Amino acid sequence: MVQNKSLLFLLTFLLPLALWAQPKHNFSVSGTVKDVKTGETLSGATIGFLEHPGLGVVTNSYGFYSITIPEGTYSMVISFSGYAADTIVLDLKQNIVLNKSMSASNSQLQEVVVTSRRSNNILKTPPGLQRITMEDIKNVPVLFGEKDVLKTMQLLPGIKSAGDGKAGFFVRGGGADQNLILLDEATVYNASHLLGFFSVFNSDAIKDISIYKGGMPANYGGRLASVEDIKMKDGNDQKFQASGGIGLIASRLNLEGPIVKDKGSFIISARRTYVDAFTGLASDTNIKHSTLYFYDINLKANYKLNEKNRVFLSGYFGKDVMNIQSGNGIDWGNSTATLRWNHIFNDRLFSNTSLIYSNYNYNTQFTSNANNIRVSSAITDYHFKQDFSYYLNPRNKFDIGLDVNYHVTQPGQAVASATSKYNNVTLQKKYALESAIYASHEWSPTTKLKFTYGLRLTALTVLGPDSVYTYDNAANILSTTWYSGGKIIKTYLNPEPRFAASYQLDGNTSIKLAYDRNVQNIHLLNNSTSTSPTNVYLPTSNIVQPEIADQVSAGYYSNFHHRAYEFSSEIYYKTMQNQIDYKNGAELIGNNNVESQLLFGKGRGYGWENYIKKKSGRLTGWVSYTLSKTERQIVGINNGSWYPAPQDQTHNFSIVGIYQYNKKWIFSATWVYNTGNATTWPSAKFPVDGVPVYYYSSRNAYRLPAYHRLDLGATVITKKTAKYEGSWTFSIYNAYGHDNPYTITFQKDPNNPTKTQVQQTTLFKMVPSITYNFKF
Amino acid sequence: MKKIFFILLSSAFFGIIAASFFSCTKTITPSLNTASPQLIIQGVVSDTAGPYYVSIVNSVGFYADNSYPGVSGATVTITDSTSGLRDVLTETATGLYVTHSLVQGIYAHTYLLNVSLNGKTYTASSTMPQPVLLDSVSFDTTSDSKRFRAQANYQDPKGVVNFYKYSLVINGVADARFQTFEDRLSDGRYIQDKIDADTSEIKRNDVVRLSLVGTDKKVYTYLSEAENIAYNNSSLAAPATPTSNISGGCLGYFSAQTVSSKTGTVK
Repeated sequence: MVQNKSLLFLLTFLLPLALWAQPKHNFSVSGTVKDVKTGETLSGATIGFLEHPGLGVVTNSYGFYSITIPEGTYSMVISFSGYAADTIVLDLKQNIVLNKSMSASNSQLQEVVVTSRRSNNILKTPPGLQRITMEDIKNVPVLFGEKDVLKTMQLLPGIKSAGDGKAGFFVRGGGADQNLILLDEATVYNASHLLGFFSVFNSDAIKDISIYKGGMPANYGGRLASVEDIKMKDGNDQKFQASGGIGLIASRLNLEGPIVKDKGSFIISARRTYVDAFTGLASDTNIKHSTLYFYDINLKANYKLNEKNRVFLSGYFGKDVMNIQSGNGIDWGNSTATLRWNHIFNDRLFSNTSLIYSNYNYNTQFTSNANNIRVSSAITDYHFKQDFSYYLNPRNKFDIGLDVNYHVTQPGQAVASATSKYNNVTLQKKYALESAIYASHEWSPTTKLKFTYGLRLTALTVLGPDSVYTYDNAANILSTTWYSGGKIIKTYLNPEPRFAASYQLDGNTSIKLAYDRNVQNIHLLNNSTSTSPTNVYLPTSNIVQPEIADQVSAGYYSNFHHRAYEFSSEIYYKTMQNQIDYKNGAELIGNNNVESQLLFGKGRGYGWENYIKKKSGRLTGWVSYTLSKTERQIVGINNGSWYPAPQDQTHNFSIVGIYQYNKKWIFSATWVYNTGNATTWPSAKFPVDGVPVYYYSSRNAYRLPAYHRLDLGATVITKKTAKYEGSWTFSIYNAYGHDNPYTITFQKDPNNPTKTQVQQTTLFKMVPSITYNFKF
Repeated sequence: MKKIFFILLSSAFFGIIAASFFSCTKTITPSLNTASPQLIIQGVVSDTAGPYYVSIVNSVGFYADNSYPGVSGATVTITDSTSGLRDVLTETATGLYVTHSLVQGIYAHTYLLNVSLNGKTYTASSTMPQPVLLDSVSFDTTSDSKRFRAQANYQDPKGVVNFYKYSLVINGVADARFQTFEDRLSDGRYIQDKIDADTSEIKRNDVVRLSLVGTDKKVYTYLSEAENIAYNNSSLAAPATPTSNISGGCLGYFSAQTVSSKTGTVK
């Protein structure tokens, strides 16, 4: 029944499209846009015509474009940020396939200074979208010199860092688990290495990242706050190439080359840290015998079977290992695999089929005396995706697709030794099928106005085998029902409408408006501030409802000073339903009845984001400022009144500056400032068996001290020939050594038992690093 | 200036995982509100000989000394609701109330606490659980350290839900620390648990008395939440005042509990 209804809905939705009258003698020009040197496809390149300014399309994520126009002679312009635009005279009398390879605009200093790069025009991008290429992040200084797309992204407005040594980031008031992080379409559950010091994304293997803070197109779904769509490089299909870097605590190697020139290529990218090389020098025996490292490997291969068919296979595998002496340790990691098939049905219909596997797991080992226990947990996705794009004409594009994702969660399994104080425990696995269909229409009624609207319909089916419980307020089990394998426990159906509009006021300014609803069915349980990787993922169930967010956003965008600068100012208002919080003393680990420990409520957030970027000249960079508020209302917390969410940072400010001193030297600096997170501190103390214990009058009523930090970087190119490039990168993280708190501890004064004190721990002050990068 | 520091990420289940980073720690004095004084009532009845005490104190501000003003003038009674015995306690020192007729608690009996103070009434009920006996206290003296931890050794009864608290008396002085444990994931196991002392200073030749205390669920909840707040507050996303088992709007706990103790000397 449900399926029939949705099919009917989809038909009614798409019906107007079929009625579109088509003028006679229309022909299409289609093809793929690539980089001439590396053969990497370029997504987001603009195809336009001198005869019809304002009319145009952009290449999709596989570099494919298609445009259908009346027959005639045209000057077609292909342009892409950082590349020299190409103009092709086109005599359109039949359907044409036109594949184009573009050259990067010469990055020699003189050129950079005199020509302003053709921007990928912010006037035209969807509202809420920000795209970052590796070129953009190359010179931004970061901790330990590892350039990191997720870290640099946190310097943009509306995206907030969780702070030093903490994994995760917050987008427009959403939680850290509310970001959909995709690597070649596969969900990455834990995007951090070493408790958040690095992201799992090796910049050598990444082509670009598209970030949606709002106005998500209907083909994305599953998380409330944002989408980070990260694309791996395809690999150079022209010549074999090696590059890498050797740093103080990490080294990288990247190999890529053609499988068959112009037809297929591969890329292998790996890195490993060796922090533990230094722990061996420590005097503390516990540290001395510890291991602490991570590694990750990105693999990708693609092959063009013929003009109409191309296949891609990509994979990621990463692991973190932390062990201290005497067998206490933890390891965790993600693995993903994506098999994709691009098929061009005809000049206008593009299809992609994907089979995706994604897994996150952790293992912890605890040995103490005779007590010995090993705990593991995992979440696995088996995901099928089918997307069609139909390019009717330059004014109309349709996207339609299907998404089926089977989630299997193992919340926990413990294996104990015979002498351990713990029993073996295997928690009931959770099974959920998340399926969605979507349809979306991009429509430009005039050259200045563009609408993108669509609908995503998500069904979440909770499946057996599982025991389904109901609870009373005191977390006692009221009833237990057993569902055998394959039995449907419950289905939730949620429509997710999406709407975006942009209107170009003149050649240099535009305004945009968006509304989107997102639904989330995989929930992260974590009641600690530490970024312990031992997170519990819980799918929607009979008790945990799908989380729902509605957001309205609007913005003003402009290019000025001959497009050397871009400016944007956006506002948003967001409400969230079915948000999860925890009862006091909630037991989240090893608990089959974890749902009895949860509280539910609402969230809301609003903010004003400003961004100004200088794109050309010796000095480039940006300034970003966000003013925002993020609140929660949970039954059972603060008497049910609204209170600030931990990530509520009133002011958030960042400045990034990159200065090209000469052909050899580039200097850079980043300064960030934000209001301290909301936090819960005591308002009194009292004794429990003689131990001072703290009294908390309300949740998140205090503020951590403001966070600020200056990072400095310098890159010197030591050798640059056609065959070999070498450069040194120096950086200092937190250059003026500000004490930003990592933890704040309330404790009995160890030197004076009649007093209590507050201790602040700071992780990083003036951390220098040197990396040598090479390419040949 | 910088020193290699040891950051402990502890979790109830997997214990202690550690990482070493460059970091530094300093004492800060953020401005903290002081809540109006909260009433704390703490009393026990146990299966070891009385008399038993109920203490009533007020909370103090965070930066005040760790001494809490006693509250006088309360009417305190403890009733054995199983036998019907009712004991009216008398105040022997400011805020300290003592039993008379209640000389020893009995397993499976339910005890009721009633405190009347300034027109308000605070009540609690606690049932004494089945006693669990401590086998022995031992010390792991094989490590190269000069400070040791005591270890409790005992059999958790199978098929019974048990809640425990450990406490130490070192050289005749009660140690200002407690530790809790439940058998949620350990039912029927032989338990060997290391016990932290307040100052982590158990040395050779110290005489240590370790007590294994059995409590009911609500008392355990209060104690384990209090333990988490006292020793783990920096890693809690949302620390909250422990949930008392006494109703009427106060903090503290009233426990009918079992106590099994062993004494050992660190050799």
